[in-house]
Amino acid sequence: MGKVIVITSGKGGVGKTTSTANLGTALAMISKKVVIIDADVGLRNLDVVMGLESRVVYTSMDVIEKRCELEKALVKDRRVEDLFLLAASQRNRKDDIKPEQMLDICERLKEIYDFVLVDSPAGIEQGFHNAAAGAEEAIIITTPDVSAIRDADRIIGLLQNQNIEPINLILNRLSPTLVKKGNMISKNDVLDILNIDLLGIVPEDPGVIASTNRGVPLVHNDGSPGADAYMRIARRMTGQRIPIPEMRDDNFFSNILKWFSRNK
Amino acid sequence: MENSIVKLRGYKDGLHLIITPKVDLVEVETAVKELLERMNQPLSGTSIHIDLTTSPLTSDDMKELETYLTENYDLVVSGVNILDENDESPILAAPATHSIAPNLQADDQPDFGQAKIVRQTIRSGQTTSCLTGSVLIYGDVNPGGEVVASGDIIVLGALRGNAHAGAHGKLSSVIIAMELVPLQLQIGTYVNRPPLGQKSRGYPEIARVGAEDVIIVEEFIKFN
Repeated sequence: MGKVIVITSGKGGVGKTTSTANLGTALAMISKKVVIIDADVGLRNLDVVMGLESRVVYTSMDVIEKRCELEKALVKDRRVEDLFLLAASQRNRKDDIKPEQMLDICERLKEIYDFVLVDSPAGIEQGFHNAAAGAEEAIIITTPDVSAIRDADRIIGLLQNQNIEPINLILNRLSPTLVKKGNMISKNDVLDILNIDLLGIVPEDPGVIASTNRGVPLVHNDGSPGADAYMRIARRMTGQRIPIPEMRDDNFFSNILKWFSRNK
Repeated sequence: MENSIVKLRGYKDGLHLIITPKVDLVEVETAVKELLERMNQPLSGTSIHIDLTTSPLTSDDMKELETYLTENYDLVVSGVNILDENDESPILAAPATHSIAPNLQADDQPDFGQAKIVRQTIRSGQTTSCLTGSVLIYGDVNPGGEVVASGDIIVLGALRGNAHAGAHGKLSSVIIAMELVPLQLQIGTYVNRPPLGQKSRGYPEIARVGAEDVIIVEEFIKFN
């Protein structure tokens, strides 16, 4: 029996879809059976980020309205074994789906798969409630800025009301250089306010935009800081104890540059 | 808060302006001016209920008083109480939808009647309130979270959101927190906020209404 985990944030643009795509891929790369569900009905993009846009034939709406079997609606990933996508309908609206229908889909999928990751839409309305309906655990994505943290706090309150537990945190787009200069809220400040367990930190990585645009999740790009961070998070999700590395205070490249200029 | 002619009291449904002795409109206006300026707080948009149960002001006076409050202080008159034996019916444009204010003095409200104990963090968008006494929170109150109590508020954690103690007007109510870095504090009708960018001082603090009728914050060492 697998786990259903909703990936949510409240605020938009903090990396829910990117994180879902990368964690799903990373989990499948370490031999887990994974389904990722796009719950952003009407504004779907998980299929785009995964590079599976052209392969989507059926959506969750077709399953709910019994136009096709659940198994048939799952899109197989192009690169990794045992990774599937359940796309959202682009023609429908978020309130066309009811929480019970989402719950039913999640219940059926977790019988077969180890991880069912639900990519939640932004906001706290029906779309969010649908995404959370089938979840027993949650991952909150936040960036280190006050508005994202405020929204994350709101979402944590709502999830706790629905008895979703544990709720873990991924701190996304942390820039060590800016934290050191005092221009960014630090990890400890975020944890102090949100008061939930930290699952991992994903550093700011320019490679994310390129990988999103190519439709190849970052984790395929071995050795980039973001990919390594997502791989570590995926391993933690499977129960492995991997410490969260303290970020280098300084940018690696600026250190090299400094070293060169000193030797001139 | 009061002077010899008018009293300002906070009740559950908002501010009540109680006009006590038998005086004329000019005196009332001067007294209101003196009182509101002593408060020295922005009241713009606050709704206020005028209690005329012990005052002989005429309906014309009432209208003029309402205009005076609206134009000079941007207050919204939400209703009026008048004595039944007064033949004048309320002529104010604002509907008197609120119930008649309890004849109880605000300071007679029970404060420890029924305390509420909360064993969790109050997060953004969440409210916890206790209108029968004090609130004790084992946790934080995060920005966007709100605590309301008719008595005291004690936070065994960081108070980063809004807190309103003495919500029925009990001005001896206090707010105590291990870390007091709120967005806004309110005790009775008094509102205060810390200076922008205020950081936690690292010791427990208490907020209360001081002698100057402003909310003061000091290190909490011992309650007395």
